[in-house]
Amino acid sequence: MAMENPTTTGQVPSLNMPYRTFWEKTRRFQVALLFLLPSLILFSVFVFYPLFRTIYLSFFLTNQKGLPTVFVGFDNFIQLFQSADFLQSVKATFLFILYTVPASVVISLFLALLANEKLKGIHFFRTIFASSLGVSVAAASVTWLFIFNPTMGVLNRIISLFGIQEINWLADPHWALLAVSMTTIWLNLGFSFLIIFGGLQNIDQSLYESSSIDGAGYFYQLRRITIPMLSPTLFFIMTVSLINAFQTFGQIDLLTGGGPGQTTNLMVYAIYKDAFVNFNFGKASAEVVILFLLILIVTLLQFKFVEKKVHYQ
Amino acid sequence: MKRKMIVAVFLLMSSVLLSACSGLSHADDNRIQIVFWHSMAGPPLEALNKIVNDFNQSQDEIYVKPEYQGSYEESLAKFRRVGGTDNAPNIYQAQDIGSKYMIESGDIVPVQQLMDEEHYNMNQLERNIRNYYTVNGKLYSMPFNSSTPVVLYNADAFKKAGLDPNKPPETYSQFREAAKKLTQANKGMKGFSFLNYPWFFEELLAVQGGEYINQNNGRTGLATKATFNSQKGLNIFKWLREMQKDGTLANYGTSGDNESSGFLTQKVGMFMSSSASMAEMFKNAPFKVGVAYIPRPDNIERQGVVIGGASLWLSKGKSAKEEKAAFAFMKYMASPKSQADWHIHTGYFPINPGAYKEPIIIKNYKKTPQFKVAVNQFHDTKSTYATRGPMMTLMPQSRVIMSRAIDDLYQGKNLQQSLDTAADHVNEAIAQMNLANKK
Repeated sequence: MAMENPTTTGQVPSLNMPYRTFWEKTRRFQVALLFLLPSLILFSVFVFYPLFRTIYLSFFLTNQKGLPTVFVGFDNFIQLFQSADFLQSVKATFLFILYTVPASVVISLFLALLANEKLKGIHFFRTIFASSLGVSVAAASVTWLFIFNPTMGVLNRIISLFGIQEINWLADPHWALLAVSMTTIWLNLGFSFLIIFGGLQNIDQSLYESSSIDGAGYFYQLRRITIPMLSPTLFFIMTVSLINAFQTFGQIDLLTGGGPGQTTNLMVYAIYKDAFVNFNFGKASAEVVILFLLILIVTLLQFKFVEKKVHYQ
Repeated sequence: MKRKMIVAVFLLMSSVLLSACSGLSHADDNRIQIVFWHSMAGPPLEALNKIVNDFNQSQDEIYVKPEYQGSYEESLAKFRRVGGTDNAPNIYQAQDIGSKYMIESGDIVPVQQLMDEEHYNMNQLERNIRNYYTVNGKLYSMPFNSSTPVVLYNADAFKKAGLDPNKPPETYSQFREAAKKLTQANKGMKGFSFLNYPWFFEELLAVQGGEYINQNNGRTGLATKATFNSQKGLNIFKWLREMQKDGTLANYGTSGDNESSGFLTQKVGMFMSSSASMAEMFKNAPFKVGVAYIPRPDNIERQGVVIGGASLWLSKGKSAKEEKAAFAFMKYMASPKSQADWHIHTGYFPINPGAYKEPIIIKNYKKTPQFKVAVNQFHDTKSTYATRGPMMTLMPQSRVIMSRAIDDLYQGKNLQQSLDTAADHVNEAIAQMNLANKK
């Protein structure tokens, strides 16, 4: 605290004070560190150590107990890039992102706009729209498993009403990824809706009032006021959904198990199989490192190009 | 004052809760506690819990604590982590294809050792099942839940299609013909279904006497190459492809639940199933369910089926007292009475043939003679390396790989090529494992 009010302790607030020790100079940093310490300890144990351990393992072959035995340099990585299976799972992951992220954002924006209207009983709908937030991935997947069931599923009953041939949602390579994406979009909706709705509620009402006086219509307001004012929220949701999509696991495990024909074998699922079924920790670690880099690059790109369009107040 | 009261009440409540919890986990502190990891869920879990409870009540020296550890794959991943440490369970239930890993891990004591010490009569256990778990002349684990594949069929639909429900098809061409008739005669029904679960492929290979890997199915040495892409392997794929072209083959992907519900709702006439789900099917089907031997090619003699399921392993590094206690429980599980209960409530085979004389089985067979078909198919098996089943550490991985080949089959890709690719992948994995294990 002495630093903030140097005159009371008789110190001169100058940067070039040769007699100040290093200990004193880094005083503020020390205090900051003290506050950060609890989370730093937790992070080192649960994030940093595993991170470096994974990078270390990715340069080794591992035996059947998962212990590193032979150093192979970048071999694991080279093999991955030559493996059609791995490239397929990268492709599936990007397709999955393409199917899920924009759709969840657009649908939840739409729902949030609806829920933002002042109507009688709107609270009921707000609760319903946010409700999928309270459903676990496992419970949702099992529910959707029933919906997709080829013999008794609701979905096939509905489409057969329209005279469309029944679809084997989870076993047909053309549909499986879409089916998993549908489940994921539904799962994402609750959270995205809640965040976007919160963002909408935060927009200053006077902006709408003054633009109404100027004669602006609903869609003009939407384009010129709502979307720009909401852009930080939308950006946040996009970034978070993107990272979540990269890390999708539960739905895949329960709905398709990565099949049919590897079409839904997303990267995290492939990593799980390599690590815990095949017990090939070296290869799995290399896949983790690649996934980490991919997420990093995509997020950086997002910050570089999309964030420019974000309007911070 | 009021706050103090509330705090006091909470403290009291939590202490009661805590003591209640600890009371649950230590039934009796003087008893030797045996931790038993298993992967049984659904009806088998109920049957298992009953056997464990009976054992705990039958004596007061040993207390067995069963712990569900997820599917076979999940629990094997856990065991690999704790095997050989203090955290390892006394008894661990490992899936058939995890056996080779267990043997090589060095974290287990072969049950043969305790059997010899206690002069346990090994011959009371079913020979074919013992054969599977015997490597280099030593029985490594205590068989427990053993099943084989069977074909389950809708007997009512058979009648409707003009087929004799008491004389199910046996060969590929007979199955193909029956599938056609079933599809034609029953609206909305496909004749046959083959789940993408590579165990069935392994079995259809063994029934022809085909070996899955070299070195006599890995039984006389470490396997170095996959051999399932042989003519015999191709036979299976060709047969399934023919039925696919006929439009009589249903595809449920990897979902056994969807397949069962398809069968129960009469969308599938015949399907390959584990004998372990027979009891459930008999109970739930609104029609008569028949049981048949698994199919074979027309020109190849039937060799029999490989035993599937799981067995019980003893952890190494436990005190001699605990080891003996764990083995005592294993003996109890293998007794005719336990096995008879187990068989009737699940469909797993009695690993102790003495069980067939138990009244509960005799009574049950009178009511549902179909049970017997599965048992007969199993007893008709000729003991060869093919029917003893493949032994390889990488079996779990080879199933992941084969599952892709079966996907290829359904997607209409070249059959020999799909099998060759799968074999190549298995060979690569073997080569890499050998490299990693060299040190």
